[in-house]
Amino acid sequence: MAFIHSITSIAHQDTFAKKNIWDTISILDETSSLVHPDYKEYIAPAALRRLSPILRMAIAASNYCQTTCDSPFEAISVGTALGCLTDTEKFLKTIHTTSGSILSPTAFIQSTHNTIAGQISLELKNHAYNMTHTQNSLSFELALHDALLCVNAGKSNVLAGAADEAIDFLNRLNDSLIHAPVAFTSGATFLVVDQKTSPIELLAVDLHFSATNYKDSISKFLKQNGVLFTEMDAVFVANNADFSPQENVVNYINYSGFYHTASAFGMHMAHDWLLKEDKKYALIVNNLVADKLGLILLKKTNK
Amino acid sequence: MSTKIYITGYGAIAALGNNVAEIKASLFAQKTGIRQGEKPYSEKYKVGEIRFSNAELIEHFDLKNDASRTALLGMVAAKEAFKNHVLHPDIRTGLISGTSVGGMDVSEKEYLKFLNGEVDNKEVYRNHPSGTTTQQIAASLGIDAYFNTISTACSSATNAIMMGARLIQSGQLDRVIVGGTDGLSQFTIAGFNSLMIFDEEWCRPFDETRKGLNLGEGAGFIVLEGENSLSKTAKTPLALVTGWSNACDAYHQTASSPDGSGAVLSMTEALSVAGLQASHIDYVNAHGTATPNNDLSESHALIRVFGEQVPPFSSTKSYTGHTLAASGGIEAIISILSIQEGILFPNLNFSTSIAETNLTPILTVTKAPVTHVLSNAFGFGGNNSTLIFSKI
Repeated sequence: MAFIHSITSIAHQDTFAKKNIWDTISILDETSSLVHPDYKEYIAPAALRRLSPILRMAIAASNYCQTTCDSPFEAISVGTALGCLTDTEKFLKTIHTTSGSILSPTAFIQSTHNTIAGQISLELKNHAYNMTHTQNSLSFELALHDALLCVNAGKSNVLAGAADEAIDFLNRLNDSLIHAPVAFTSGATFLVVDQKTSPIELLAVDLHFSATNYKDSISKFLKQNGVLFTEMDAVFVANNADFSPQENVVNYINYSGFYHTASAFGMHMAHDWLLKEDKKYALIVNNLVADKLGLILLKKTNK
Repeated sequence: MSTKIYITGYGAIAALGNNVAEIKASLFAQKTGIRQGEKPYSEKYKVGEIRFSNAELIEHFDLKNDASRTALLGMVAAKEAFKNHVLHPDIRTGLISGTSVGGMDVSEKEYLKFLNGEVDNKEVYRNHPSGTTTQQIAASLGIDAYFNTISTACSSATNAIMMGARLIQSGQLDRVIVGGTDGLSQFTIAGFNSLMIFDEEWCRPFDETRKGLNLGEGAGFIVLEGENSLSKTAKTPLALVTGWSNACDAYHQTASSPDGSGAVLSMTEALSVAGLQASHIDYVNAHGTATPNNDLSESHALIRVFGEQVPPFSSTKSYTGHTLAASGGIEAIISILSIQEGILFPNLNFSTSIAETNLTPILTVTKAPVTHVLSNAFGFGGNNSTLIFSKI
């Protein structure tokens, strides 16, 4: 069994280190921007200067999660769809504009996807299992799935999370790289999973790579976990089109903005919603990309 | 529920050869694949470059058009690995690929056009995400039950193999194709150049005079099956994966700790997962990039784990170049060949031991009984991983 012990997000909402994000979140309007915490509280000034937004967000969120644990993370599993784009673009520009062979390596060093998990370990001096998953819109669910494997193998305080960052260039690629209903943005959500009980149980994570019928896939998944779709008190989705208005559906993209790993924010919303409501089950449906489906089932333990 | 993890297929492409048979022949002949580069951005360096252009790869190996070099090389190796297998609804089959730069080789060209104010082809960027390279490889084999991309820099393929073994042991998959792929790109060559860790000559792993690495490109995949799957496929296993571990050095974003702490952790844990003593290891396929930092750190780590009895070891990057995310896949196959053939493949270009650690790698093709092989891969971010392969 696996339970969620803390969860935090940096997003277009005041959601960092909060008791319950439903106290502050609302549907975004087009003028909203990222709400950053005071990074100096979590990252040394010298490091802060060289860190891109995605690294700052991920490190601050992970450091916060570590402060809620009584011992170091025994595994770190991070999902990112597009990785460290700011540094990738910076290094590409440097290659193409610098004459001669002397290039600064900083942007290159910080461009690889595993810089996120690597920097988290480095900041925390953590020597444990350290993994980076990158599978487009299912990157977060794959990281969470790995975290569950770690918990089931007996590891404590397993850090799972996702981070993605937007760069302006991405908006040129709307309709080629992906069909985004709103502008690309950034976000990071990290959480701690453990066998110890907590108010919210992470019942299961499921992945589908060629889902032809969402409803069938969802029913099958819920059946495997001994519940029915009609028992879901709320369903957090990336795209409403597959659901009827009667199905207690909340579109998390309306709260997070568009990025490939926004389902992690959807999970944060579902977690805090269960905490505050007198309800039992919440399902997170990542249907951001056609035929790719991520499912996460949460249960309130005292219900 | 614990099952043995059987290896029932392998496939690779590298500068050393276009398939496992060619790679094996080059290893026996002690013939390196590293040569002077032929691309505008590689011509100044010695690289393990595959001499097919992307268009030639598509034609020669009958591949899907419109994919990056990383995806194309991955398709070649994964197809070879899976060639005697068939998909079956009762055998849940996945694919896990490691890559560091994904489709960078095609996107960087379009981005340069964009920077120069020319018209770039936006459709090309669809091939950029690392996850897309894996999706394309999976599609080329008809796999859709599970696929995933691991990106832990130079240990990506090693971690993909470990992930696959864990998914089989936990009962989530029956069979999985695991490994890694990386195509050379200007981005990568400029990046390693900026770190000033290239050797302008042939790289000399574990040599006192080593100056740095030669980059390479390629892909290497192996097929893993649990007992359940093996009873249905009735394959003759080539070897077993018995140990795996992933630990973090947490010392520096790119450099290894001087005493090799992360490497010691990962080798020790892998031995423990395999239920083996250090003395059981017959051969170590080292990470051995030939950078001053890695080889000294890894030498210290080998001595800390094995004491005075460091087993025969070599770095086969002197044949392939450092193929980054693919290296763990290609080196897994070299480790399996070592077990199958009862042969220890030598380290090229070695003349003098590192003064501080005084270790000498294997210098000639040596016949020896090989039961257990330990293979290391260490990446940026302190991502250190170790696999152990064992004879059936």
